[in-house]
Amino acid sequence: MVDLLHRHTAAGTGLGVSLPRVEDDRLLRGEGRFVDDLHPFQALHMAVLRCPFPRAQVVSIDISAALELTGVEQILVGSQVAERSEPISVLRPVPGAPDLPFFALATDVAHFEGQPVVSVVAQSRAIAEDALDLIDVEFDPLPHVSDVVSAMEPDAPLLHPNELATNRLVTNNQERGNPDGELAASAVVASDRFFVNRVTALPMEGRAVVAEWRQGARELIVQHSTQTPHLVRKQLAEALRLDEGSIRVLTDDVGGGFGMKLGIYPEDVLACLHALELGRPVKWVEDRTEHFRASTHARESVHDASIGATADGRFTAMTNAYATDLGALNSPFGSAQLTSITFGGPYNVEHIRTERLVTVTSKTPIGAYRGYGQPESNFVREVLIDRIARQLGRDPLDLRLQNLLRPEDLPWTNHTGAILDSGDYAATLRMATERVGYDALRAAGRGPRADGRLTGVGLSCFIERTGYPSARFLANRGSQFGAHEGVTLRANRSGGIDLITGVSSFGQSSETTFAQLLSEVTGIDAGLVRVHTGDTGASPVNTGGFASRTTIAAAGAIELAGLEFVGKALRIAAWLLEIDDPTSLAVRGTDIGPRDSDGPTVPLADVFSTAILGQGIPPSEAPGLEATAYYEPQAAAYAFGSAAAVVAVDPETGDFTIERFVMVHDCGVPVNPMLVEGQVLGALAQGFGAALMEELRYDPDTGQLLNGSLLDYFAPTAADLPHVELLHTEVPSPVTPLGVRGVGEIGTIPPGAAIVNAVCDALSDPQIELSRLPVTPEAVWRALADAAAKGGRA
Amino acid sequence: MKAAPFAYVRPSSVAEAVTALAEHEGMARVLAGGQSLVPMLNMRLMRPTAVVDVNRIPGLDTVAIGPEGGSIGSLTRYSTLEASADIAAHLALLTTVTRHIGDRQVRNRGTIGGSLAQADPVGEMPLACLALGASVLVQSVSGTREVPVHELLLGPYWTSLEPDELIVEVRFPTAPSLFAFSEVTRRHNDFAVLAVAVTATRTGEGFTGVRLAASGVEATAILAEDASAVLEGTSLSDAEIAAAVEATVDVADPSDDVRASAEYRVHLLRVHVRRALERLRDGGDRV
Repeated sequence: MVDLLHRHTAAGTGLGVSLPRVEDDRLLRGEGRFVDDLHPFQALHMAVLRCPFPRAQVVSIDISAALELTGVEQILVGSQVAERSEPISVLRPVPGAPDLPFFALATDVAHFEGQPVVSVVAQSRAIAEDALDLIDVEFDPLPHVSDVVSAMEPDAPLLHPNELATNRLVTNNQERGNPDGELAASAVVASDRFFVNRVTALPMEGRAVVAEWRQGARELIVQHSTQTPHLVRKQLAEALRLDEGSIRVLTDDVGGGFGMKLGIYPEDVLACLHALELGRPVKWVEDRTEHFRASTHARESVHDASIGATADGRFTAMTNAYATDLGALNSPFGSAQLTSITFGGPYNVEHIRTERLVTVTSKTPIGAYRGYGQPESNFVREVLIDRIARQLGRDPLDLRLQNLLRPEDLPWTNHTGAILDSGDYAATLRMATERVGYDALRAAGRGPRADGRLTGVGLSCFIERTGYPSARFLANRGSQFGAHEGVTLRANRSGGIDLITGVSSFGQSSETTFAQLLSEVTGIDAGLVRVHTGDTGASPVNTGGFASRTTIAAAGAIELAGLEFVGKALRIAAWLLEIDDPTSLAVRGTDIGPRDSDGPTVPLADVFSTAILGQGIPPSEAPGLEATAYYEPQAAAYAFGSAAAVVAVDPETGDFTIERFVMVHDCGVPVNPMLVEGQVLGALAQGFGAALMEELRYDPDTGQLLNGSLLDYFAPTAADLPHVELLHTEVPSPVTPLGVRGVGEIGTIPPGAAIVNAVCDALSDPQIELSRLPVTPEAVWRALADAAAKGGRA
Repeated sequence: MKAAPFAYVRPSSVAEAVTALAEHEGMARVLAGGQSLVPMLNMRLMRPTAVVDVNRIPGLDTVAIGPEGGSIGSLTRYSTLEASADIAAHLALLTTVTRHIGDRQVRNRGTIGGSLAQADPVGEMPLACLALGASVLVQSVSGTREVPVHELLLGPYWTSLEPDELIVEVRFPTAPSLFAFSEVTRRHNDFAVLAVAVTATRTGEGFTGVRLAASGVEATAILAEDASAVLEGTSLSDAEIAAAVEATVDVADPSDDVRASAEYRVHLLRVHVRRALERLRDGGDRV
């Protein structure tokens, strides 16, 4: 749309350039350095005995036989851990919620299947696992709760009787206008109960930690697979009762995080406790069986939602009372918090209420995951909009276009106080529907094709909150981190810049994009920038990589630091070139020379070496060339777009294929268009997985996880994903540095609704309503069978 | 996920292998491709006292298939089956099903004998061997015997092999000229929700030698003998196919799991048996 943005710096490596990822070369050569690649001298290995029940009293633990096994070094049980450490803190608490103490080992009651109960350290992981076999724990299973609906039944077992009077942790209400009155007065209302599945982030590298304590140095070095090294340091200091100066967290390559690797887990505390007492490195690498039970899960909510409209199709009100499953205990980020904020979506609705009922169950704690509540609200809203269209006999496209906020309506403050900053929402919907050939698809007959399949098209309009609207916003919610990022830029003698950040490198390409941002701001060739990530001993104390916020906040910090850095470099260059006015100079790739004309230049290497040596610099300048800056965004940027799915349904089996998927998306100014596409496609893969296949299933009687392995948790492979046609608009955000919006999560949001709407369009039977994710062939078949039983379809 | 301790034995002949199996008195497991065994060892779902690695035994991977059938060595990898021109020409169903097995890595390691001994209830290879009327030649310290595949498969991961017996080859009779194969999966090349394989020869207007097999609807792959009998010698009219569908459903007793409910499996069985037979009537599938 607005194409101001492919401006090119002198170096040609700034904004809008699809530079290849600098991270890829080492990763593709097998030179990535993950925690499991570390083999410290004399390292010991930890294994963890976990609760096999959804909820159980730990009656007794007998470790005597295990202690006798050759190679076993130390065993810890809950009472010891409770003496030696504090409960794990919560980084992003649920507003208004009481604490649910979460020690690294269960003390008397284990609250979920997979909760650590005993930890063993031995000379090898195999020996440690052999020792687990020899430990005799007597569990007394306690009544459990498997879902948020039964959790609130009057006769439900009370899961945390010491802290909670019911299984509801807290209720957060947000309301504007008179939604109930408006719904009552509406010509049509669509209402239903929607179920959103429990899924898991499933990074290919699970969690991993190596902890080493050097008593004489009073230093605990923790090598950790995390998105947030500085927050890990903070939480470890609190849990271990150490000062932060005694802890250094190092994070090298991270094999994916997706929100699941924010903050610490029990095993991190355990590895550190063992290392502190044994004085030897302790290594723990999560295996996949552990991952499915002890790493945080995501989503799972039940929504009672309504949308009303006038007879001419104007939306009158929206309500959504939803119970989110927190799982058994708080995790660092708890249950997702963006459902309410984004429920109104890109629509002009004045009367709206969201009621968030945070509920505890006897399942693995829920944590952050790409999307963080936004796929849920999108699914509920967009499916209800299609039902309104059906009731009114309106085309779903027309109905959306009628109700979308127009560019002149923005900025728009919604019922939660969130401010949608800018964009042309309808333009994305028109682009998506034109690309997919919407009118022709809708005009085509509803009958089966030659292959017996029925085709349909479905739409989904979406917004995504990217970044945090200031530290004040976070403070109001009790969050234990700020909205800022900080970077340090430091010249080196070779003419390069070391960019030092606490952001770790987990696939989001920050090493590449930070270099591009610096190139954009300073004119320095991105190839001269070396990004150093994830060392709390070296980097400014930052927030970390999550919430689609890193590029936004880091862009500001890089801009501020870059301007300071380059200003000094130009002053020194002017001195060396004997030019009076440094502002007449500019960086041009690898040299500094006249901004607007030919003339003498000086290599950056000479300027930087002079500054570092401190000899021959202007008398008014201090030696060295280094700048550190922090930047805190004052508002969140809302990314947005529209998607259109075309499906072909086998009406006999319910099987369906997604024949086309068009997504139009706006992330403001793209730093690197290729990486934007990579981010969107990667998130779409997870969005399709959650919409179509993935679901953590629990046995309702035993409360145990039924599919805790890659064998039967159906994460999609490349062969399962539809081809995606990705288009972009580029409306710069007025509230962020350089006009960027975050891009990390948006692909997770639209697939569920677009696909469900397309399937319902294909089946074109008003009795068929799909209200549950994932939408599987069996679910479609059941909906068809139910409609047939009601006499709707022959 | 580390295996419990076990002894590792690597025999260089079948005789050595079966001797090792006998010595461990039923507590040893044979390692062929390892695609099922190794994960089960690592998850400690299986704790044998010994693992007998047959991968270095020469002569167990010979493919000798012609117009009258023939034999395939038990250690033959799926990828070898997949690439064999003789198998494509004379046992086309086998070629077809290998393309539905796991991924490239699995097919490069997994073996036909290992698959039959593992007896995964939804494995493609047991189903195809059942439909093709194959048998296995097994050897132990006390000699050899031949076991038809329909007598080999007893239940999920359960065969009629004695603990000291090793499958050395799989034997195939002359295959009917036509086949049809349908499989339903939750994702690409995942374990099957359900699969149907049928073979027959067209004789004039009728079909003979009909063998209809299904997996995912019982504790192991099943041969639908009544359905096959219903179809024998017929022209596979719609009415005859409908009767065969009912006869197949009569012997199916699926259970619920995370892939599908029992109810949906029965529905899918009806649809896919019918569709496979319709395709067979129209000339069958091709490799």
